[in-house]
Amino acid sequence: MNRTTTLQHEADVAAPAAGRRSPMRRLLDSRGFVAVRSFAIFIGLWYLMMLWANPLQLPSPFRVVDALAGLAASGELFRHALLTTSRLAIALVVATALAVPLGFLMGLNRKADALIDPVVELLRPISGIAWIPLGIFIFGVGDTLPVFIMMYVAFFPLLLNTVSGVRHVDQRLVAAARTMGVSRWAMLRQVIVPAALPTMMVGFRLAFAGAWAAVIAAELIGAPSGLGFAIEWYRQLLMSPKVFGFIVMIGIVGYLCDLGLRALQRWLTPWAEGTGLA
Amino acid sequence: MMTQETLAPKLRLREVGRQFVAPGTGQLATAVTGVNLEVATGEFVCVCGPSGCGKSTVLNLIAGLDVPSAGTIEANGKPITGPGADRGVMFQDYALMPWMSAFDNIGFGLRHGTPGKPFTPEQREARIRQFVDLVGLKGSEKKYPHQLSGGMRQRVALARLLANGPDILLMDEPLGALDAQTRLILQVELLQIWGETAPVGERKTAVFITHDIDEAVFLGDRVVVMSTLPGRVKAIIPIDLPRPRTEMIRADASFSILVEQIWSLIRDEAYRAIHEK
Amino acid sequence: MTTTTGSTASANGSRWNAVLYATLLPAILVLAWQAWAMTLPADTRAPSPARAVAAFVNLVASGELILATAQSLGRVLAGFAFALLAGVGLGVLMGSSRRIRDNLDPIVESFRPIAPMAILPIAILWFGTGTAASLSIVTYAAFFPMLLNTIHGVSRVDRKLVLAAMTMGVPRLRILTKVVVPGALPGVLLGSRLAMGVAWTAIIAAELAVGAKTGAGGTSGGIGQMMFVFFAYSIDLNGIVVCMIVVGVVALLIDRLFRVAEYWLMPWRQ
Repeated sequence: MNRTTTLQHEADVAAPAAGRRSPMRRLLDSRGFVAVRSFAIFIGLWYLMMLWANPLQLPSPFRVVDALAGLAASGELFRHALLTTSRLAIALVVATALAVPLGFLMGLNRKADALIDPVVELLRPISGIAWIPLGIFIFGVGDTLPVFIMMYVAFFPLLLNTVSGVRHVDQRLVAAARTMGVSRWAMLRQVIVPAALPTMMVGFRLAFAGAWAAVIAAELIGAPSGLGFAIEWYRQLLMSPKVFGFIVMIGIVGYLCDLGLRALQRWLTPWAEGTGLA
Repeated sequence: MMTQETLAPKLRLREVGRQFVAPGTGQLATAVTGVNLEVATGEFVCVCGPSGCGKSTVLNLIAGLDVPSAGTIEANGKPITGPGADRGVMFQDYALMPWMSAFDNIGFGLRHGTPGKPFTPEQREARIRQFVDLVGLKGSEKKYPHQLSGGMRQRVALARLLANGPDILLMDEPLGALDAQTRLILQVELLQIWGETAPVGERKTAVFITHDIDEAVFLGDRVVVMSTLPGRVKAIIPIDLPRPRTEMIRADASFSILVEQIWSLIRDEAYRAIHEK
Repeated sequence: MTTTTGSTASANGSRWNAVLYATLLPAILVLAWQAWAMTLPADTRAPSPARAVAAFVNLVASGELILATAQSLGRVLAGFAFALLAGVGLGVLMGSSRRIRDNLDPIVESFRPIAPMAILPIAILWFGTGTAASLSIVTYAAFFPMLLNTIHGVSRVDRKLVLAAMTMGVPRLRILTKVVVPGALPGVLLGSRLAMGVAWTAIIAAELAVGAKTGAGGTSGGIGQMMFVFFAYSIDLNGIVVCMIVVGVVALLIDRLFRVAEYWLMPWRQ
């Protein structure tokens, strides 16, 4: 036997399962099944802990599911979820409308950047949450406050990433376009914007994540409706299953939105897949 | 020869120099100095030299992407004032827009720059397709750069350059990123596209930078040999090999002599570059 | 391609220029704010820069501000410590073992979209409205950046380096300390910086919300609660502004501190 066949034989012996697993084995090893199994264990542990603890503090997972079903049936679940997400959508749209043009200005114009950046850097560390008390005085308790807070939180990652994306446009692409007699406007539209878009999308996802966390806080403290409000409301009523139910809903909606954003990212910037930005 | 001398040169560099201020020390450093070069219409000029001799600097100056500190550069008898579609550039790493397909990249200048102005949209599309075929990319034109091999990207860049119909072709080590075998094949194709089989007056004017002396001798009508510290033109070697150049020419004695002649001009500096880093 | 602006003679000039640019817009905005505040009747509650400064001086003199800041910071540090232990511990496990990671990932990723503040009602149910509730929020908040960055840091450790060390007969413990730890350190430090930033935001939010439950008599203390008191009881908007600025300044300091630590501990980076 020559050397290559010996090595092949050894490899086959060492890894008997490779490529020849039964369909059952493949199912059991798949990511989906592992996820389901982990959740099952998690819920099992939850149930055990509930038996040991105060049912007020830790309701049975089944009662939570029950509460969720009830809330869904009555429409209350979706009403609050819709409110929260619509506020989020408005906030993101406004934040984008403000941050992107400003970001381009600051990215392309050194003087504008030198002028505006100090204000940005001074405001950025003041978290959106810290604005809630002042915000309530300015806007009162209602719809505007959560939108304002979210807008504030979403603004900074969007701005910073736009500036970064614009500044780090590959200069060789700009040079190539110049040698083709491309006008300044066409340069912006055809080169700078697409080149900056991947980084801007990352900023958008960061903005969403921050805003999603902020909206819950804002609604918890200062809004009469929405998912954040609902958690607090039912806590005061000591109806823990519903509290947990809404929390689960927060997780689900947040997760779905992130999935949507990833899909958006893939659709808008398909060429950025392998660059570590996706 | 007679005809070339009586025609005005397509490209003329007179005493061109480029100095810049080193960012750290604030000292003046000279990239190139005293460059004199005249390129006739339809000529294929190669530029060779050790690393750091200023080859790319000269190309950038001709392209108008950079401004000389001294001297003048004229194209078609007029001084150049910046980049333009009359001097097309093919960059070392192709500079293809990653978000556009090969087809759209080739058509970039036609659609968004000045070269497309005289055409109607339909004519532009037809022209793009023409060059897709010319460089042999038919069937792959909808792919994105990251889906193409190095050789195909190079052809996209070449097609883009040619589709813009520039007077002067400026190419900065365009085959540098390719493996040796692909390079040999593309050298022959490049000459054909350049117009090797057409009369001199109908050929494009080309300035081609390369490290590879074999490549320079194979492609060029003349080879400009540069030296470093400071960057300047050391010699200009005419390449009297017959056209069209076939691969057999590499086996010719005259070929080897020319290569050795050029290498002997560069050798010492290349040694120094390695040993004194 | 561009020539550098200014020789050494005008370098000082350009530095002054930079300072001018940096302070111009903020100064204009503050002045505009003051001017607007002065157009209002004298007994207005609206905050102004001048009155905010006065409030700041008062709060510092009475020691309230320092105390509140210390309280908040103390909680952040405690929460951060817990998150560090849990996050790095779990992160190393998940980063080095594909199996563990695949099993735990679904749980982690499900909790990630659930904001720390959403957990607050549960925390209050469990721990009441004292420090423990705020602390748990901070720990929860800081845990995720810590975990995710540790996983990233550990998995970034080039397998080949570990294998190379093994072929040189390096004992496993030393591989851990000499190869894995330095390799994962950038990730852990980055995670720490992010975690502290998030923790600071979380504590303010938690104290604000908890303060809203307990009112002025609450024992939770901290800047967040101070802000709430200014908001709901003394209606001292200038005090609120002072708190906001303190929140911002502390956030900046924390960030800078951690960046310096990153620089010192990892001189081989950048």
